[in-house]
Amino acid sequence: MPDSSQANDVASYASAVRAALAPLPDAERESLLEDLENHLAEVASESDLSLQERLGPPEDYAAELRSAYGSGNETSSGRHRPVRERTAALLKSVSSNLTYPDLRALLPELRPGWWVLRAYLVVLFLAFLFRDGGNLRPIPNPFTSGGLLQIVASLVAIGISVRLGRRALPAKRGWRWAVVSVNVAIALLALPVLASMGTGYNNGYSYDYSSEPNFSAASAGYYPGVTNIYPYSKDGKPLKDVLLYDQDGRPLVPSRSDIVIDVPIGPDGLPIPNAYPLTERQPTGDPVVPPRVALPPSQTSVPTPSPAATPSP
Amino acid sequence: MAHANGNSIDTSQLLKGVLDLAVLAVLADHDSYGYEVLRQLRDSGLDGVGDASVYGTLRRLYQAGALKSYVVPSDEGPHRKYYGLNDRGRSALDQSTKTWGSFTRALDHLLNGRSTANAR
Repeated sequence: MPDSSQANDVASYASAVRAALAPLPDAERESLLEDLENHLAEVASESDLSLQERLGPPEDYAAELRSAYGSGNETSSGRHRPVRERTAALLKSVSSNLTYPDLRALLPELRPGWWVLRAYLVVLFLAFLFRDGGNLRPIPNPFTSGGLLQIVASLVAIGISVRLGRRALPAKRGWRWAVVSVNVAIALLALPVLASMGTGYNNGYSYDYSSEPNFSAASAGYYPGVTNIYPYSKDGKPLKDVLLYDQDGRPLVPSRSDIVIDVPIGPDGLPIPNAYPLTERQPTGDPVVPPRVALPPSQTSVPTPSPAATPSP
Repeated sequence: MAHANGNSIDTSQLLKGVLDLAVLAVLADHDSYGYEVLRQLRDSGLDGVGDASVYGTLRRLYQAGALKSYVVPSDEGPHRKYYGLNDRGRSALDQSTKTWGSFTRALDHLLNGRSTANAR
């Protein structure tokens, strides 16, 4: 066998042995295999036969190596040793890498976060109790008096909570227990409040979704079936750009998302989403034809709504 | 891995128990490297011994501190890692020799007793 192919033979056989011993800890494997290539080269130089033919499959060679290397403390149970070693190595790496100690060490650093969060949750819970029919939002609308109150109350509560949190836990067992239970109670009480968020009709309103071309989930209206409103004057003239509000003074907004609405922009630059009738366009871009309406018979003239009834933005 | 069956002694199992002793005995004579140790063991009649077993045993004895080791550069072939006994290896060899002696005496006694009993 020429030298170069012999060297290749040695290299490939050695790397196969190395691969078969991969489950061993790195240090142990390297210490065992330190001299392997030289040794195999020595074996190979004695004969023209390939290493595979002389020594058998590399996997068997690796198993024998391993057995001999660890044979000092193995007897008849030697066959099960690799599995046991593998399990032990796995457990070791899990316990050292799965960061339970790290996690424990991290917890104290997360405390200030909890101080802020618990203050927020307490105010949220109070707002939940005293709300006047409106739906809670994660961050209250600062342009309503209730929302502003909630934000201010949250800030004050955070200040108090952090101040309390920075004090050491009371040394007395009973007090310490009380402090812990109060914290747990806050977390538990907040759960139903958080769960109630975003369910039901969202009456809360803000202009912050002006970037959305259609009013999707953020603004489900009072009447889910109603997608547009066509107001007429008493004398049967179609009106346009009529601003509608509900009994709480909140703008009425539709709840459909499959119709594109062109929203007029007010002089202050903010969109006016409750200007009726809404200028609807089909997803294809075609304008939506307004419905025919039967006006009360007392009217002197019965106008037929025409495309002219569609207000232009 | 082969196992002893009812009919014959599994030489590889026997070797496993005494390979340390055999390797130490070879090295007690003179320092040597892996492949030469293997050859000497085979020349002594232990032809069932595997190359990987000898190599692994040498590495383990070295790790256990029973052997000294040094590399000898070679002109025509690969570098050779030589192994030799140190004090701990020598005392391990003495200890194992005694154990082996008493073990074989006991077994000889058993076997001889049986053979004389058969002869009767």
